[in-house]
Order: sequence, then C-alpha cells, then structure tokens
Amino acid sequence: MWDFLSQLEQTGFCTWVRESTSLFAFPGILLMHTIGMGLVVGINAGIDLRVLGIAPALPLAPLEKFLPVFWIGFWINAITGTILLAADATTKLANPDFWVKMIFIALALINLRMQRNTLFRVAHADKRPLTTNDKILALTSLFFWLGAITSGRLLAYVGPVSGLETLLR
Amino acid sequence: MELSPTHIHLLLNHFPTVAFAVALGLLIFAVIGKSEELKEASLVILFLLAVLAIPTYVSGNAAQAAIMNTEGVSQARISDHESAALVGFIFMEITGFIAWLGLWQARLIKRIAAWCAPAVLVSAILTFLLMANAANLGGEIRHPELFGNGDAASQSAGSTFARAVGSFVTNNTWVWPTCETLHFVGLSLLFAVVLIVDLRMLGMAKSISFSALYQLLPFGMLGFVVNLITGMMFFISTPGQYIKGYAFASKMVFVVLGGINVLYFMLFDEPWHVGTGDDAPLTSKLVAASAIVVWVGVLFWGHMLPFIGQAF
Repeated sequence: MWDFLSQLEQTGFCTWVRESTSLFAFPGILLMHTIGMGLVVGINAGIDLRVLGIAPALPLAPLEKFLPVFWIGFWINAITGTILLAADATTKLANPDFWVKMIFIALALINLRMQRNTLFRVAHADKRPLTTNDKILALTSLFFWLGAITSGRLLAYVGPVSGLETLLR
Repeated sequence: MELSPTHIHLLLNHFPTVAFAVALGLLIFAVIGKSEELKEASLVILFLLAVLAIPTYVSGNAAQAAIMNTEGVSQARISDHESAALVGFIFMEITGFIAWLGLWQARLIKRIAAWCAPAVLVSAILTFLLMANAANLGGEIRHPELFGNGDAASQSAGSTFARAVGSFVTNNTWVWPTCETLHFVGLSLLFAVVLIVDLRMLGMAKSISFSALYQLLPFGMLGFVVNLITGMMFFISTPGQYIKGYAFASKMVFVVLGGINVLYFMLFDEPWHVGTGDDAPLTSKLVAASAIVVWVGVLFWGHMLPFIGQAF
C-alpha cells in the first residue's frame, strides 16, 4: 500500500502538481479548494444560521434551491482534494489530523442529509414551526464545518508536514 | 512620473484626514439642521472613508520600505506614526461600522434611528483627533525642521503599539494558525450572505423577496469584520511580505470595490421592488454578479499572495 502511494506521488501528474511553477498547478488547485469551501460552508452555514433565528423574515423552504450550489462546491472539493492528496499521499495519510478532517466532513454530510429530510422534505415545510431538533442539527452542522476548516488549516502545522504547506504559512 | 508607494500613501492619506474632517463637519451640520438627507449622506461618506482607510493604512508600510534608506528620514518617527495611525485606523473602522449599521437600520425603519447620529458623532470626533495626531507625526517624517531638536527624532519608538501587536503574532506560534482559521470562518460567513443574496437577485430561489434577503447583510458584514481583524494581524506582524508585488494591492482594490458594491443594495430603491416571485431588474443583476466576481477576486488575490508577484 505504502509503495503504491509513493509511486502515485511520483507519477508525472502528481510531480507537476507539486513542482510546476504554473499557477494552474498547486496554486490553482488549492484556490479551487478554497472557493469550493466557500460554497459548501457558505450555503450550509446560511441555512444553519437561518434555523438558529437570524433573518427571521427570510423564508426557510426556498433555501433548498441553494443546495445545488452546495453540491457544486462539494464536487469541486472532492476532485481538487483528491488531487492534492495524491500529490502528497504518504505525508497526508500518515497525519492523524487528515483523518480528523475526513471524519468532520463525513459527519457534516450526514448532518446535512438529516437537515434536508427534516427541514425541506416534509409537508408544509414553509409553515412548520422550527423544533429544538432543527436547532440542534444547525448547531452540530456549524460545529462540524468549523472542525473541518480548523483541522484542514492545521494540516500545515501539526503531524507530518510536507514542503507544500510551508509555502502557505 | 512613476507612481511610487510613497505617492500612493500621500494620495490616499487625504481621505482619512481631510475628507474625514469634511464628512464630520457635514454630520455636525446635519445634526444641527436636523436634515435626514445630510445625515444619510454623511453616514455614507464616513463608511466609504473607513473602507478607503484600509488601503491607506497598508500603503504606509510600502511607503516606509520605499524611503527606508533616505537621508533625513527618521525611523523612530515612522514607528511613532505607524502606531498612531493604527490607533486612528481602529477608531476609523469602528466609526465606519456604526455608520453602516445605522444606514442598514434606516432602510428598515424608514428614518435614521435616534441612537445613530450621536453615536457616530462621538466616535467620529475621537477618530478625527487620533487621525490628526497620526497625520501630524506622519508629516514630521520628512520635515525634521518641525521638531527642531535632532535628538527628539531618535528618541521614543522603543516598543510602539503596532510593533507590540506584530510581536504578539510572531512570538506566539498559536496566533497565526488561529487567525488563519478564523479568516476562513469569516470568509465562509461572508460567502454565505454573498451567495444567498446575489444568487437570488440573479434568479435562484425567486420566492424570496429582497426585503427578506436584506436581513442577512449584517452577518456578511460580521464575516468581513472578522477578516479585517485577522487580516490586519497578519499584515501588522509581517508587513514586508505583503507590500512586495501587486497581489496584496490588487486585493485591497477588490475590498474597496466590495464596500462600494454593498451600498447599492442599501441606498437604491430598485432592488426593494423585487418581491416574492419577481425577476430582479437588469441593474440589480449586474451588481449582484459583480459582487460575486469582486468577493471571489478578494479571495483570489489573497490566496495568490505566495504565488504571484514575488510576495512572500
């Protein structure tokens, strides 16, 4: 397994991602990862904050229409994240912080699925009063995304750190 | 003539000083004359000046680097000016924030709230005094004849406020990653509001009326404030790596554009006619699209700091 990962890192593409001075290599891929984060966390946090009581005049049900934007961001980050992982596989996979980040993202996605079912996919979604359960899910959602952002940023600081991230700190 | 960092700083520094004094005078005049229109106008100007104060402040460090080895320039005077400017800048941003909040609320209650003008007035007078002090110290950098005694120039500026903030960031290893994380949190909050407001104006989720979207704006502003504070922590601790190249200057231009952009949704009547199910007018769509471009642009230039134009 570890041999495979080192070989993966040494493929032409992964070497290009790491070492090319082109803005489309590491800088551009990481840029897309940050924009994707803005879409993902932005949309979900917007729904969470509305559930928690900000902007009470804002109808909740139509916010479901923004979920495709969330998924665009999610797939941008799944793809760019996979590329960034492949280019740095042996370091990242050996870092417990990376797995903490993956767990936070998995929990956040499960959380969003539960929110979708309870907030949007119910009869009279626009007239139903918000329950304590809705508010707890909004808080856990914010907590999981905060955890994902924090553990993601800390990849440049804790555990094994590759030369790539030192550029960014 | 080439536009050097010093020229840019000398050009921009008229906004937080001269223009600010004019805006403060206008506000006093408006309060005495009980003119709602003049109050609103002065709040708008004070907010815009607070936005312009951001590039003004950061251009100071670029100017410092440019005249570092010039004869007759006192480094101690520059450090004193930097710290005085930082204090003035903090009050300027508070003034701008209160003015913005008052403008935001005025739309909802159809008049400027009673608390607003006195609060802005007190904050603006304090800001003006602090800025006058900063400007005075700034003027002495190139005019040693103003403080006569040569020894005075080399004195003071041991550990100034700005450098103390800088040392706090660089000497505590946890501060930088914490600020970075908070910078991403602020980014996400700002994006939450930008995406929902501007994508709705562009035609997504049309059952939301503009007046409902309007309630979100202060939370976008909150995200911006988080990023202004954390961003200034980065800048003050290591100004040298930001003033190289053009990436950071470009970011500042986009921040100013973002500040101007939000005013459209607060001051113009057009978006307010967008009710449930309505298609937004073309102007609102263009402004909404430009908001997304501008804030992604801010993110782009910030992200590219280590990669474009020799910064870092």
